[in-house]
Amino acid sequence: MIQALRRTATAYGVFAALILKRIMAYPLGFWVQFFTQFIVMAVTVYFWRGVYLGQETLGSLNLRQTLTYIMLAQLVMPLLQVSLIVHFGSWLRDGQLAIELLRPVDFQVQNFAQQQVGSWILLLQQLPLLVVAWRLFGLELPADPKVWMAFTISLLSGQAILLFFDWIFACLAFYTTDAFGFYLARTAIAGFFGGVLVPLAMMPGWLQAVAYSIPFAQAISVPVSLLSGITPLSDLPRIWLVQGLWLIGLAGLSRLIFRFALRTVTFQGG
Amino acid sequence: MPIIQVENISKVFRISQKDPGLGGAIKALFRPRYQDKVAVDGINFTVEPGEVVGYIGVNGAGKSTTIKMLTGILVPSGGQIRVLGRDPHRQRVPNARDIGVVFGQRSQLWWDLALIESLNLIAKIYDVEPARYKQLLDQFTETLELKELLHVPIRNMSLGQKMRAELVATLIHEPKIVYLDEPTIGLDLIVKERIREFIKQQNRESGTTVILTTHDLGDIEELCPRVMIIDAGKLIYDGPLGTIKDRFGKFREITFDTAGSLDPFEPPTGTQVVTQEPRKLVLRFDRTVTTASQLASTVMSRVQVADFSLAEPDLSSIVKQIYGGALQKEVSQ
Amino acid sequence: MGRYLKLYLWFWTQRLKVLLEYPASTLVGVAAQVLSPAMGVLTIWVVVRQVPDLRGWSYDEVLLIYGLLTFSLGLSFIFGQNIWFLGQNYIRTGGLDHLLVRPINPLFQLVVEYYGYGGMDAALVGAVVTVKAILALGILWSPLKVLALLLSILSGSAIFMAFFLIPSVSGFWIMDSAISVTSVFYLTHQFAKYPLNIYPRAVLMMLTWLLPYAFASYYPASYLLGKEAGGLVWAGPFVAAALLFLGYRFWLFGLRHYTSTGS
Repeated sequence: MIQALRRTATAYGVFAALILKRIMAYPLGFWVQFFTQFIVMAVTVYFWRGVYLGQETLGSLNLRQTLTYIMLAQLVMPLLQVSLIVHFGSWLRDGQLAIELLRPVDFQVQNFAQQQVGSWILLLQQLPLLVVAWRLFGLELPADPKVWMAFTISLLSGQAILLFFDWIFACLAFYTTDAFGFYLARTAIAGFFGGVLVPLAMMPGWLQAVAYSIPFAQAISVPVSLLSGITPLSDLPRIWLVQGLWLIGLAGLSRLIFRFALRTVTFQGG
Repeated sequence: MPIIQVENISKVFRISQKDPGLGGAIKALFRPRYQDKVAVDGINFTVEPGEVVGYIGVNGAGKSTTIKMLTGILVPSGGQIRVLGRDPHRQRVPNARDIGVVFGQRSQLWWDLALIESLNLIAKIYDVEPARYKQLLDQFTETLELKELLHVPIRNMSLGQKMRAELVATLIHEPKIVYLDEPTIGLDLIVKERIREFIKQQNRESGTTVILTTHDLGDIEELCPRVMIIDAGKLIYDGPLGTIKDRFGKFREITFDTAGSLDPFEPPTGTQVVTQEPRKLVLRFDRTVTTASQLASTVMSRVQVADFSLAEPDLSSIVKQIYGGALQKEVSQ
Repeated sequence: MGRYLKLYLWFWTQRLKVLLEYPASTLVGVAAQVLSPAMGVLTIWVVVRQVPDLRGWSYDEVLLIYGLLTFSLGLSFIFGQNIWFLGQNYIRTGGLDHLLVRPINPLFQLVVEYYGYGGMDAALVGAVVTVKAILALGILWSPLKVLALLLSILSGSAIFMAFFLIPSVSGFWIMDSAISVTSVFYLTHQFAKYPLNIYPRAVLMMLTWLLPYAFASYYPASYLLGKEAGGLVWAGPFVAAALLFLGYRFWLFGLRHYTSTGS
């Protein structure tokens, strides 16, 4: 009897050790990242439930829509944080970019591809959080594959828009020594005006206008609104138009400013 | 009355043993195994006030461990240490007031403060009397030529400047004992000279006891009348520097790259075969008996030589000789 | 004791001098970081203003909680940020040896050696928000309430710092990884940004008895506003003292390990 108990205990012990080893196999940083996002999600879910206690809708959204939107935005948020601002300064100084002077578009495409690979890896790492959102907080994902298509395409264009935007800012940020400070500022602003902290629909009109005048909304709020069902598929033509305009506008502007920045650098003999 | 008394101290580290792989990790969880590593094994010595002692040994021999025990940072596994009559670990604070320590390449100064600010802080920490502080500061910055660097933060200093600053910081509170762990490592000759001169001056004028660990034989030659050699945790030599120099300083090793293999090589008189391998021949010779060029021409007349190189006696070869009982052999000859 | 006080002031004077020497990059750094808690405030402003209340807490009342927490958080970083780096900057590099060879308490040196610029932004936002909320709320002040407020700010910061210290001591064993462990403890403070009655009871219990960040925001706000849970505000200082004591004992334990096994 005792022996049987001991054997069971040992078996459980071995099993527990196996699971522990599995958990430890993932780098600590991964778990900290997951825990960070888990806490944020828990806090926000309860926050919104508390907010909606007194009413049915807020900013024309009900609780279910808001929670879906917020959780999806938090899941997709890490993609926003991929930015080349931090590296740009050293690239410019090393003269790596000067070599690409003749073909700035190619270099931007190259960068976009690299960023995409990084982004999709980041998205995969979000899987544990997705499971938590789904099982613990009741996240509902859309079944319609058309919605997913629309989401993916608008997400990709949104990311391209951000790349050009970052490009412009990186050229300007280069002149200060604290690129990291800019990066922090960008992350904070992206979180709010991109619609991760609050659905843009809830903001007062003038604040919404400000948000839509910054490209972060195109990279997060637009795709996530599609995925969460807040924006119907019928709105797609308008969305593609707006994103298209942003793309063309920023692409052109970024090349202009880039050329100017390069000229300044090479003139200084960087 | 010795200022430092070390009686039969030892330090044993328990290192956990783990088999590789998943099986090993699980085993380690349930039945941890340890292996004892003896870093210091029964060392005895005393140091009188005002001595400058060199403490040398190859890496891993137990030098740093000994110094850490002397400064109170590490607790000995066995034995007893008395520094100025105190146990440096149990009486950490009083002991700390009387000592200064330089840890090789790590600076004790605050990396973003200007040198003068760091020194002011240190003066406050050690309660240095303001008038005395000013006096010493002027004196030291004069000798070590730091006057222009007083307002430079440590992070902007070169290695040589940092070490000079470090010495001022260490000596500004007039410690009775100073432990210098690799103070000249990575420095160029001119800076080394200046630092050695400074240390000698301090010892001469203030009677500061100096314990110096180093790999640089130049440091030893300039500063240390007495040398202690530690190897594999044991003290294998404790005596005048002169003896070592006489016995081993005169030996040189010359390495020949030979073409093809040789029959067992008969060394010329006064030389010794250290190594003989198919393409390599290493001879040790006494330079007071023969010169490198004489030996080289003798060897080349007998053997086909592709290349050769001359090695200065380095610490590990001297230690090897001593540990191999060469000291005893020499004494008996 | 008086000696340590003098030393503390001296360290601080040096730190401030450095701050003044590099105003430009400091300003950019601070400005950039103010944005993060500022966005949090903006969120509250956009959302809570539109609803009658958040589980019985009005817009300004929510701001009071948020402001108090952010202010305590900021203070704790200003005064204790260096503790986070024990494993990375002192154990792995052997920098602790320098502290041990000086005739003053090594923990004191660790806390005081480097100043936490990163805390200034949070402290600033926290102070502004708290003051704004207090002015808008028309609290009936009494000496007791003023005392409670001051004690809560102090004990709130102390609780944050205790949770810098306790997990950071793991740095004696796991060195660089200690920062990750400390992050985990630190991150749970985020629940305390909002009124705790929006969470399930288990969370309230956890934030009161396990990771008592609630004493930095929820309980003092409750007390000042005459709400039910307010009585617990007086437990705050005791909780803080107990945690700091625990932290100190754990530090001594870690130090003993360091001096007997080297690193």
